[in-house]
Amino acid sequence: MKAGLTTSVVLHASLLAVGLVTMSAPSAMQVENVESFPVELVPLSEVPQSVLGERKAEKAEKPAPVPTQRPDVVADAQKVGNNSVDTDAPITPEASPRPVEPSAAPPPAPEPKPQDKVADEAKPAPAKQPEPKPEPKPEPVEQPAPKPEPVPEPVPKPEPVKQPEPKPEPTPAPVQEAKPEPAEETTPDPVAETIAQEPAPTEAVQLPNSAPAPAARPDPAPAQQTATKASETKPSTSQSSEQAAVRPKSDEKQFSTDEITALLNKAKPSGGGAKRSTEQAALGAKKTTGQTLSQSDKAALSSQLGDCWTIPVGGVETDNLKVSIRFKVTQAGKIDGRPTVETSSGNRPFDESAIRAVQKCDNQGLKLPPANGEWDQFVINFDPAEMF
Amino acid sequence: MENLTLVEPAAQLSIWALFWQAGWVVKLVMIGLLVASVWTWAIIVDKLISYGRMRSALNRFEQVFWSGQSLEELYRTLSDRKTTGMASIFIAAMREWKKSFEKGAKSALALQTRIDKAMDLALSREMERMESRLGFLATIGSAAPFIGLFGTVVGIMTSFQAIAGSKSTNLAVVAPGIAEALLATAIGLLAAIPAVIAYNKLSTDASKLASRMEGFADEFSAILSRQIDEKVPQRA
Repeated sequence: MKAGLTTSVVLHASLLAVGLVTMSAPSAMQVENVESFPVELVPLSEVPQSVLGERKAEKAEKPAPVPTQRPDVVADAQKVGNNSVDTDAPITPEASPRPVEPSAAPPPAPEPKPQDKVADEAKPAPAKQPEPKPEPKPEPVEQPAPKPEPVPEPVPKPEPVKQPEPKPEPTPAPVQEAKPEPAEETTPDPVAETIAQEPAPTEAVQLPNSAPAPAARPDPAPAQQTATKASETKPSTSQSSEQAAVRPKSDEKQFSTDEITALLNKAKPSGGGAKRSTEQAALGAKKTTGQTLSQSDKAALSSQLGDCWTIPVGGVETDNLKVSIRFKVTQAGKIDGRPTVETSSGNRPFDESAIRAVQKCDNQGLKLPPANGEWDQFVINFDPAEMF
Repeated sequence: MENLTLVEPAAQLSIWALFWQAGWVVKLVMIGLLVASVWTWAIIVDKLISYGRMRSALNRFEQVFWSGQSLEELYRTLSDRKTTGMASIFIAAMREWKKSFEKGAKSALALQTRIDKAMDLALSREMERMESRLGFLATIGSAAPFIGLFGTVVGIMTSFQAIAGSKSTNLAVVAPGIAEALLATAIGLLAAIPAVIAYNKLSTDASKLASRMEGFADEFSAILSRQIDEKVPQRA
């Protein structure tokens, strides 16, 4: 017995020791931290039942938002639309492209000046065109050499703007005359006045000569556009002409098309949201407020209508007849217009009695589920077997 | 209720921690079951050893007995030794035989009866020795789960009272108490399962050995009866 007892004690002791080591605190189960959220019970009557969709679409079993032309998915989008950005804006037909005059306006400004022979006017124009200049200019004060380089740039820039119209018309003669004028007038002014350095103008004069291409375009443009654009631009330029010496600097610093395009909101204002759908649009509203008209709401409505309904007695057996009546409801909760027969029973007096029931209930004060403009169309089945 | 406090659930789930967190009733149950388990295994080991020895002793004795050795000689060698199993039956029978012949037996029938009685007595003593403590295994096998269950019920009761006191239904609050209570059932089963298996095996082994000894006793009785028949009538 001694042997047995010692064996047993040793066995248990070793088992316990092993158990303490290997069966120590079990590793905690990895459970995701689930946040509890409060659930509120709201009576159905307080919730207008409506789904995302289109208000004029057919009623479908599966509600779907308005179909979009670009079904590429945008993550986490909430609003239906074709936009690349999820905005609140409604989907409206895209605005027709307007002629983009304002963008063209600033470039022509320099051109009219040579004809008007207003030296001061020319200055603001070149100042706007050479956008890259603002940075180099502070430096050029010390180094006259780099200045001439930016000068030729203003000349080519006007080209793209004017190219479509002027090209066919220009004649060789005016081209040569025009070239020196803008170059001389535009280049020396900013350089000379702003920096007040003598060598700059001389160099600037040489540079325009080296740029042959721009010559053709700037000339014709002024001739044609002066009548139209000069009227718009002149007043501004004439005002600025007085302060020419100061203004060019400030304009140059502020005006940078690169910066502006970067700041532009590229989302179409009329494109709606970015939620995509390829489904057929179903009856609904812009906002989702629920699934459909709830069963209890339907039952409440049909029981009210049943009370107002007087089935025509006599004639055919009406027990098996059914009619669907469609009616619209105004914001005030009144029926809008005359109810129409959605699906006829085939028995005209029976259909008419159902319509009369709706009208009678309307007069007595029909209690409708709160619509709030989201759910204003009702189709009620009038079935004697179900309503009574 | 105020005194009931819930243990911190974190990092307190090792078996040792569960034991120390338990109430004193549950602790007592666990300790009792552990002791029972120790004793059960002690019995199992002891019985396995003693049954093995008994089996080999029976084999050896049978070999010697049927080797044609004189019974008188065998008796002389065995009588001064501590004997078990068949040997003790043989000694008891031979002793009775010797006593009867020393005093001069009058009736062969009475002698035969006395020898059988002596052998039966020796056999029953051997059987008693062999089957001692097997009853404990049976008791543990059937009662340990219930004892463990009792500990669990008490533990869960306490833990639910503590939960009521803490006014929280979080599973993290409920779980440690229940885990701790269930440990009692686990220990109960741990003790009961080996006890049941061992009891079934050992009692079968014991009955096998007993039947072997009974067989030997019957055979020896027959041999002695033949001897009596040969000797007694001559003297009578």
